Amino acid sequence: MAQLFKEKFLEVIKSITPLVIVVCVLQFTVVDAPTPLFVQFLIGSLMAIVGLMIFFLGIDIGILPMGKFIGAELPKRESLMLIGGLAFSLGFATTIAEPDVLVLSRQVDAISQGSISGNVVLFAMALGVGLFVAVSMLRIVFGFSMVYLLTAVYAVVLILSFFTPAEFVPLAYDAGSVTTGALTAPVVISLALGLSSVLSGRSSISDGFGLLGFASVGPIIAIMILGILGY
Amino acid sequence: MNEINILDGLPNTILSVATAVFPLAFLFIIFQILMLKLPLRAFVTILKGTVLTSVGLLLFLQGVHIAFLPFGRAIGEALGTLSGRWQLMPLGFLLGFLTTWGEPSVRILANQVEEASSGSIRRSTVLYAVCVGVAFFVGLGMLRIVYDIPLLYILIPGYTIVILMLWFSDKEFISIAVDAGGVATGPMANTFLLALALGISSSMGGQPPIIQGLGLVALIALAPIISVMALGCIIQFKKDRKE
Repeated sequence: MAQLFKEKFLEVIKSITPLVIVVCVLQFTVVDAPTPLFVQFLIGSLMAIVGLMIFFLGIDIGILPMGKFIGAELPKRESLMLIGGLAFSLGFATTIAEPDVLVLSRQVDAISQGSISGNVVLFAMALGVGLFVAVSMLRIVFGFSMVYLLTAVYAVVLILSFFTPAEFVPLAYDAGSVTTGALTAPVVISLALGLSSVLSGRSSISDGFGLLGFASVGPIIAIMILGILGY
Repeated sequence: MNEINILDGLPNTILSVATAVFPLAFLFIIFQILMLKLPLRAFVTILKGTVLTSVGLLLFLQGVHIAFLPFGRAIGEALGTLSGRWQLMPLGFLLGFLTTWGEPSVRILANQVEEASSGSIRRSTVLYAVCVGVAFFVGLGMLRIVYDIPLLYILIPGYTIVILMLWFSDKEFISIAVDAGGVATGPMANTFLLALALGISSSMGGQPPIIQGLGLVALIALAPIISVMALGCIIQFKKDRKE
């Protein structure tokens, strides 16, 4: 535990301090923000550093093992319904709960002047993430190649880009980043690693990773379709 | 703003941590009862870790919110008034690199890659590839704000390159690349770089700042997919030559 703590301490210091130092340099050269704001920046940075240490520690002893245990348990029941259903509900629930998604759905509501309601957007994005998480979990089970799958979905995104009303394009691409809440990444990555570790003949790298990124395409497509239909 | 406000937006931060943790903890407990049946000690350790995660996440997100959100905006506004606008590019590059360097999920991904590959793909390789990719695209994003380049002029060639590289890249790097695109737009980028872009575009006038800011996030999501997969193509090329 002490060793782990020391390791995390060093990692966090190495990760955050460079940015803090550069911001300080900028403050004294070009920015010259009011002193209270700068002090607030320093306090906030300290909070972020301490917080991140505790967070990383918790991820290592709690979240990663949790994800791996659940992922490894899934195939034992030999039920595709269970794997697909769990993946779908996990993706759907985390998206509905993500505060960024709420903000984004209100923006779509505003840009479309109410013709596409925020709730529809929220639902469509959650559906997008849920479906894509389920597809990529099942991909791991069936051992289907990532190349075909990705080529297909990126091609769809590219084609839809040309038909999506211009105001929706930045929103749609931004929607891809909703699958990236600080907690989603470790949960999803460890779940997929756990799942691929118990299936025979799977590469822990090419099958264990990719799920998170693939899931982020779901909401992009969802918003584009809404934008096209809404006009 | 003339006073220090540490508690700004705290209810929101609490809410976002709670909504992230509770469904997960609930799912885990259900799994534990019905299927996993881990020994009590392991179960309790995981729950303790979950509590630590929540406390750490709360402190981290709140710190980022009060430090990097207002200051990102202040830096952006100051930079937007610089006379030599070309300076925005190297600064964007530098800040893009360092923000990603501090992004928690990027590190978690890099660590997990090293662990899962038993060390054959080093964590620093992943970390540098992601950071350099984001750095280039944030630099490009600054150029886009200054010269008002439409977002699709970058995204369409970008994703086309991604589709092409898929067919030439080492398979393992494809999966890592796609995940890297997902983790690069974490809380650091979403607050600091977003606020930076909003600050720059608001002090320069022109397009509505919100559109510019969103555009930058889209570029940050694309960047590491390209840089990590480019690395995958190089590795595949070297492998092919050896055979």
